[in-house]
Amino acid sequence: MPPKLKLSELVDHIQETIQDRFEGEIFWITTQIVDVKKQESLRRCYLKFVEKEHNAIITEVRGVFWSFYYNWIEDFEKFTKQKFADGIEITCLVRVKFHPKFGLSLEALQIDFAYTLGTLEIERQQTLERLLQENPSTIKLLDGVYRTYNQSLPFPTVIQRIALITAPGSDGWRDFTQETEKNKHGYVFQITEFLTQIQGDLAHQLILQQLKLVETLKENFDVVVIVRGGGSQTDFKPFDNYQLCREIAGFPLPVVTGIGHDRNTSIADMMARQQKTPTKVASLIVDHNLEYENNLQSLKERFFHSVSTLLEGAKTDLVKMKRLVKLSSPDAILNRGFAIIRVDSKIVTDSKQIVEGTQMETSLKDKIIHSTVTGKTKNENTKL
Amino acid sequence: MKTLSYNEAYSKLEKLVHQLEDDSIQLDTLAEKVTQANELIALCENKLRAIEKNVAKARGEFEN
Repeated sequence: MPPKLKLSELVDHIQETIQDRFEGEIFWITTQIVDVKKQESLRRCYLKFVEKEHNAIITEVRGVFWSFYYNWIEDFEKFTKQKFADGIEITCLVRVKFHPKFGLSLEALQIDFAYTLGTLEIERQQTLERLLQENPSTIKLLDGVYRTYNQSLPFPTVIQRIALITAPGSDGWRDFTQETEKNKHGYVFQITEFLTQIQGDLAHQLILQQLKLVETLKENFDVVVIVRGGGSQTDFKPFDNYQLCREIAGFPLPVVTGIGHDRNTSIADMMARQQKTPTKVASLIVDHNLEYENNLQSLKERFFHSVSTLLEGAKTDLVKMKRLVKLSSPDAILNRGFAIIRVDSKIVTDSKQIVEGTQMETSLKDKIIHSTVTGKTKNENTKL
Repeated sequence: MKTLSYNEAYSKLEKLVHQLEDDSIQLDTLAEKVTQANELIALCENKLRAIEKNVAKARGEFEN
């Protein structure tokens, strides 16, 4: 005959049994987490540990990180650059608890980052492999570096029209727009904002949608900038997404990323032109224009220098010609003491034309002398 | 005389000066040749001055 008990008596019995069995024991479990409810002000986190088979949950247990262990969640996000959120898989140290009212739960005491980092790295490697295999015309691996069609696109001579994909009011948005607007060279940029969520489960889809929208308007833009910022941003997953990365690699306008991190490079960065921060993206664009202006300036200097040299040369040549012409003019000849002899108004260059009695005119600088020839002797070149 | 370009005027002038230099000009045509040369010189000088002015103007426009 089964014993008759009050509910509390039975549950107390269950509690004792569980306590006896699991007292002082701790376990490492690898599990997916769902229904994550972080209470940051109280520094505690309620969640569920689940295990799935063919996408159906086969095991589910409530779990909790009490405040004493909450720092593991913060460290997890810091080191793995991954948000501690629904759907991720973690390995954590737990102990078994049973409460008469709340039932069975697992208290988490520690998280193994290495496991998560390893899993993330494997996922990344798989995505990279797939990108290479399925997009051979736009993505190549050369000497260990990913080279994409997008990276091979040259910047236009001057960058003016920017499609900015970012989260509204984010640090990245502020840093980038301030840096471009206040550039010391006074360059003016037309920035069109394509605002989107940039963190969270749907972020990659939303970024992708904005990117596709930019593509339909591509004639209106010189470059695409994707930025986000702030040191507290931890979630890299959207930027490792296959579809998004594939779109960037084959995108018809140069894409510059400033996803704001020092430690890791997302796959999106590897498919585009990567800058570490939104501010650096802005500097890259400003410097690109500055380089063009400097080149133009030096070309202008060289041009005007050549023109000056050409003109000076022409002037010098002309002065030379002028001197030669001046020396050859009849006036100059007469000025030097030479005379012109004319007989019957014709210039005489041959002495045979003159005989005794010839009437001739001798033109000097200021006078014409009329004379009759009385004699002619040979010039021995001594009487000049 | 039709309007000559700087290069056309300068080549004519060069030719004249060569003739003056190698004594191939008869003295009775000398004055005429010298006048022609002086006209060409004036033409070239005017053209150069105009070019210089244009270049200075272009440079000014560039810098503003």
